[in-house]
Amino acid sequence: MDALALVLTLWAITVCIIGANVALQCAERWVSRVLLATGCLASALSFVGGALCLYAGPSGDAVLWTLPVLGPISIGTTAIASWFTCVASLVYFPTSIFTFRYLERYAAKYSLRAFAIWYCALLAAIIGLFICRDVTSFFIDWEVIAIASAVLVAFEWREVSHARAAFTMLGMSEAGTVAAILAMLLARPGSLSFAGPPVLLSGAMSWTVFLLAFFGFGVKAGLLPINSWLPRAHPLAPGNVSALLSGVILNVGVYGIVLVNMVLAPSHLPAQGIVVMVVGAISAIVGILYATTVDDMKAMLAFSSIENIGIAITALGAAFVFIAVGMPLFAGIGFAAGMYHLANHSAYKGLLFLGAATVDAKMGTRSMDALGGLIRVLPITTALFFVGVFAIAAIPPLNGFVSEWMTLQALLRSAELGSLTYRVIFALCGATLALTAALTVTCFVKVFGMSFLGWQRTDRPTPTEAPRSMLAGMALLAIECVLLGALPTYVLPIIGRASVSAFGADVVTGTLVPPFFRPGRGPTPLPADFVATFHALGAQIGAWLPGRGLVVMLRGGSANPVVFAMSTTYLWVIIAFLALITYAIVRVATRARRAQRSRTWAGGLTRILPEMTYTATGFSNPVRVIFEAVFDPTEVENTRETIHEHFRAAIRRAREDIFLSDRLISDPIAKVVRSAAVMLARMHHGRLGAYVGYALATLLVALAIVGVGQP
Amino acid sequence: MKNWFVRGVTAGIWTEALPGSGNVSNALSPGLPTTTEYATPELAREMATRCPTDAIHASGATAEVDDDRCVLCMRCKGRDGQKWRHDITWGHTAGASSQEPLPSAFASSLHVRIIDAGDCGSCLNELAQMNGPLYNLHRLGIFVTPTPRQADVLLVVGPGTRQMRDALVTSYNAMPEPKRVVAVGVCAASGGIFGPSLMSSGGIGEIIPVDLVVPGCPPPPHAIIDALRLVCGQIKRVAQ
Amino acid sequence: MVAELVNHLRTIWPETDWRLDGELISAEVEARYLRAMAKYFTAQQWRIGTIVARENGRDVHVRYFFYATKHSGWVELRVDVNAIDRVLPSLTNVTIAADWFEREIEDLFSIRFTEHPRLGDFVLHNEQWAENLGLMRPRVRLDADIPERPREWHPKRVLEEQGAFVMPVGPVYSGDAESALFLLETVGEDVVRAVPRLFYKYRAIEKIAEGRTVHDVLLLAERCNGTSAIGNGVAYCQAVERALGITVPVRAQSLRAFFAELERLRHHMTSIRQICASTALQVAESQALWMEERLLRISGDLAGHRYLFGVLAIGGLMFDCDRQMLEDAAYDAGNVLRKVEPLRKALENASSFLDRIERVGIVSEESARDFEIVGPFARASGVAADMRAVQPYGAYPSIEFDVPIEAQGDGYARLRVLFWEMAQSLRIMHAIVADLPQGSVASEVALHSGEALGWSEAPSGASIHWVECDAQGVVLRYRLTPPSFRNWHGFHVATEDFAFQDFPIVLATLDLSVAENDR
Repeated sequence: MDALALVLTLWAITVCIIGANVALQCAERWVSRVLLATGCLASALSFVGGALCLYAGPSGDAVLWTLPVLGPISIGTTAIASWFTCVASLVYFPTSIFTFRYLERYAAKYSLRAFAIWYCALLAAIIGLFICRDVTSFFIDWEVIAIASAVLVAFEWREVSHARAAFTMLGMSEAGTVAAILAMLLARPGSLSFAGPPVLLSGAMSWTVFLLAFFGFGVKAGLLPINSWLPRAHPLAPGNVSALLSGVILNVGVYGIVLVNMVLAPSHLPAQGIVVMVVGAISAIVGILYATTVDDMKAMLAFSSIENIGIAITALGAAFVFIAVGMPLFAGIGFAAGMYHLANHSAYKGLLFLGAATVDAKMGTRSMDALGGLIRVLPITTALFFVGVFAIAAIPPLNGFVSEWMTLQALLRSAELGSLTYRVIFALCGATLALTAALTVTCFVKVFGMSFLGWQRTDRPTPTEAPRSMLAGMALLAIECVLLGALPTYVLPIIGRASVSAFGADVVTGTLVPPFFRPGRGPTPLPADFVATFHALGAQIGAWLPGRGLVVMLRGGSANPVVFAMSTTYLWVIIAFLALITYAIVRVATRARRAQRSRTWAGGLTRILPEMTYTATGFSNPVRVIFEAVFDPTEVENTRETIHEHFRAAIRRAREDIFLSDRLISDPIAKVVRSAAVMLARMHHGRLGAYVGYALATLLVALAIVGVGQP
Repeated sequence: MKNWFVRGVTAGIWTEALPGSGNVSNALSPGLPTTTEYATPELAREMATRCPTDAIHASGATAEVDDDRCVLCMRCKGRDGQKWRHDITWGHTAGASSQEPLPSAFASSLHVRIIDAGDCGSCLNELAQMNGPLYNLHRLGIFVTPTPRQADVLLVVGPGTRQMRDALVTSYNAMPEPKRVVAVGVCAASGGIFGPSLMSSGGIGEIIPVDLVVPGCPPPPHAIIDALRLVCGQIKRVAQ
Repeated sequence: MVAELVNHLRTIWPETDWRLDGELISAEVEARYLRAMAKYFTAQQWRIGTIVARENGRDVHVRYFFYATKHSGWVELRVDVNAIDRVLPSLTNVTIAADWFEREIEDLFSIRFTEHPRLGDFVLHNEQWAENLGLMRPRVRLDADIPERPREWHPKRVLEEQGAFVMPVGPVYSGDAESALFLLETVGEDVVRAVPRLFYKYRAIEKIAEGRTVHDVLLLAERCNGTSAIGNGVAYCQAVERALGITVPVRAQSLRAFFAELERLRHHMTSIRQICASTALQVAESQALWMEERLLRISGDLAGHRYLFGVLAIGGLMFDCDRQMLEDAAYDAGNVLRKVEPLRKALENASSFLDRIERVGIVSEESARDFEIVGPFARASGVAADMRAVQPYGAYPSIEFDVPIEAQGDGYARLRVLFWEMAQSLRIMHAIVADLPQGSVASEVALHSGEALGWSEAPSGASIHWVECDAQGVVLRYRLTPPSFRNWHGFHVATEDFAFQDFPIVLATLDLSVAENDR
């Protein structure tokens, strides 16, 4: 059984390669179908493979070849990698369905064949990354992912901005890759394989590996000081590629961090966990701030991805801290929260990006200031987008709520920590995440309200609803959001199996879905009357409601148990029940009275003109004003034009702000590099005599080195 | 803040009793001309010609007054002129209205939306006085609301200018049932000296269905309060 | 002063026939000299009184009236307009104050003013009327049924910024506010610019007046703005009396001044009440309402009508008041003002109230002069414009009073001017009662044709009326330029870059009447 998982995964990769070849040679009109078939089949196979690995246990490592310097090339499935594989498949499958019709808009100007080939290559590389078990194959695969994603981002290569964005992305990714390679090489000196027990590094080496891995893989994951590429690449990439970038590639970065810092060379200094938490929290708050105030829908979703990854990273950081102080159960909560959040984020961000792509394709603009009233022309897309909005705003009973609740609970467990400093930092991070959650609601109310509701703001020919395959892709992701939200007690044990890689045992299921909910199925470490009271409170209703409903967090021991619980499962049941009852009451009791319908009251105006409605930028202006210090905008224009001195012809105002990462990291580094280059350029002055002198000096230095080396 | 609170509380209660159907002084109401018997038909006809809005109609030796047309120019007032009435029960049902009175619940809670359809400012000022401490509309459970969605009565002042007509109709349509319309002032009743014309109607009744009319230029606050009490059923008037 | 001026004008423009009639210089000028002449007068701080367009069969002409602000004296420039081309040069590049006059004439007379950057959709709204309706032209009859030919209307947008939009307020808003539409251009936080769209209450008073007797048109003048009935009515009466050569008896002049000041007292009390209401200071609003009602009752007792309708008549007044009645009224008004004084002190010490009206809606002296603002609005910005002092009329030449001036030009300055003027009005009332001349209060009215200008200082500022009537005393053309028409023009100067919450306060402190502007 365990080898079957690996075989299925290899078959998935093979399907991708075959698909790429077919796409290379088939007729133009079959390309989309080939892509659809390949993507769906490959993601289905890899999903099944990942699930098998999680249930049947990891396969051993199979060594494919042994290269002279680069060591053995080995592949194998592991629990934690399988979780990431499943999550990636969950995004890849619907996106492939969506892509089938979405590519039509590029057919005229760009080569769909090239897209299909690189798409399959990317899928193959991603599936392959999660089965790589040594450094060499890992990084070869890593590079393929980087190149394939850069090519896909720059699919519309005729636009200069797209090409530049992809180049920035590739460049920063390479810089991160170098750091990551170094980290992996240093983590296990002498061995290039991932097999073997985790290495406990000490002091300076631990910090070196940790920082290199965290910030190296952090570039790919989009963490704050090093994510200048993210807001450039995501909005300009084709819609489905953005969904993949956000839903899959960012997770790859987090996988790298988890691989090095939890599996290969686990971080055991609490300060490291604190660093992770702080970076995550700051990423979250800055990400959502920019998301709330930006006007381009896809840029907003890109910034929101920064925020969500930040939240997941904060949860992971809490896990690191708890591991370091020796509280694996609480670490499990943080870890589960982080992994769950990654899955949730992939689902709802994928959905939102596909929705934004649909809007862009149908309306021709991504600017929320120019959209409006889409609910009337794209009703199904609006409904599906609404599920995504609800999910990302962490509204119960959808999936965002589950992982945010768990993240905050993990941070609240800081009460168990001994050190005051750590508790304060945990509290601050918790407060930051709470603020982030509030801003998320603002941001997505703005998106949904301004773009989908209200009046159409620009005159565009009325579009029809999106084709069914695009809707099907979004609907699949919406269903995933609902399921991930309604059945957390089924998802958490799966994450528990994944956590075996990092913790050596399943620390999640026992803590969060304790067995006493399933009577007669396992030991009950709690006193019977406590269990009885808990059942009375609704932990299990009768015999015919699902036994698992609650996600539970136990505190204290069996002597003095304290319980925090949440159930989105039961919430769905209750909501359905209440909706039914309300509907019945409304229909029966108000039969005699009819509600009168009338136009929106607009102060006596017969109709509100589109320019009289709030714009998206206007809606988020208060946030921009309050957090002005973060944005640090510069006033580009503030002119008042008058005719005859008194008639105001125009008031032109424009402000520009530079992304925080650019201001802090990219621009200063670029400046230093440029000035160094300018300085060095002075060497190239064209005087032949000096060039001869350089050659002479080099020769002398070389002779000196060789001479010194001689005994 | 404490200062204002003390100031308000120590000022005392200034609310005056409502006059009911009794007479009031000139200070409280300018009054309206009323049907007068003259010695000869010529005198009656002369009085009719004095009126600039055809509010006085001579039938024999009687000069009858159409309240809804009188703009209080005071030309027929004087020793040998029209008799004057000084009560404030001016509100009466509009001719075409066949609406039933509002349900009894409204007698203790009525919300009024005021619409200015071209008013000169004096009717609006009298409406503002109604909320003052001397007239104290709130003691009757009648409130002015800024939105027609929560209004029971639409109180229209002004002759219904052409460019306000759409806003007036929109406001009327924005009110939920049951609703009533009260036309306050001679301009709203019959156009006054401004209508009917290209730019004004000959009374709000030409634009939206009107239930109660209060003549006067402007009607004093007591007359308007009396009309509002009539429309919500706090008082009942014997049919004339 | 005026005689010297005429001589000087004759030297500058010798081809023009300058005539002097009392204090009025008049001339028929050619359109090409118009801008230069306007520039000359405005440079000497003369102001536009009114601009009257007149179409009489084939003859179309426009009269420009300027008046001096340093001494008394008027100038009338009459320009003939080609009835087919209907074009005149715009004066807006000389003085912005001509802007709204020209827009109104363009809408109502179809006369186009070249180089005016913003014609169209002013009085006649695009959503109702076809272009070039020319309502005031003889061919349009008020009893005709002109079909509507609506056109699209979009607000003119000036702010160009990412995410800018126009927030509409009105035409129906608030509890008992007059109907007007305000367009606030904003990007979500502060309002960058607020522009009013008026004339929703346009009743076409000037058109209604044509064909009615001079006595009936007095009713129109009174009811143009019911809260300034005497202010507008006196200006109209003086126009007719000047046209018909009627001398008003001195007792009537004094009584007219008394009623005008009584009305000014009550009108300012209303304004103070509205300012307190706009800042939601309920106790002060209640107290102001009480005082305003007291003043209304004093007016009702004295004149039989709370808003002083039916007091004025051509040639004098409708009735006489004996001295005792006037003394009682003045005494009662003094009692009210004695109660106003503690209210004023309390307001001046209420820091939360002052926070809301200080430095809000600031209009600089330069703007006030450029836009030719009138009345208390102008006096609070440092511009001493009061017709009673500058172009005295009626009984005012012999009455002593102060013209209050404040310099800050903000809401608080306007409030202080209102209180100060109320005190001055009471002072004038007492002065009149102390020195009331004997005599009749009405003159014989002999009807014949004529045309003349009349003016007065209404409570909101200078009100200027022009009447032309025929031999039977039927009005052929009635032009009224009320103070609110001038002051609404300057509204947008007070509302640039402010917080939305300050909007009702700015509106209340400016003391503007929509009915008066819309006519």
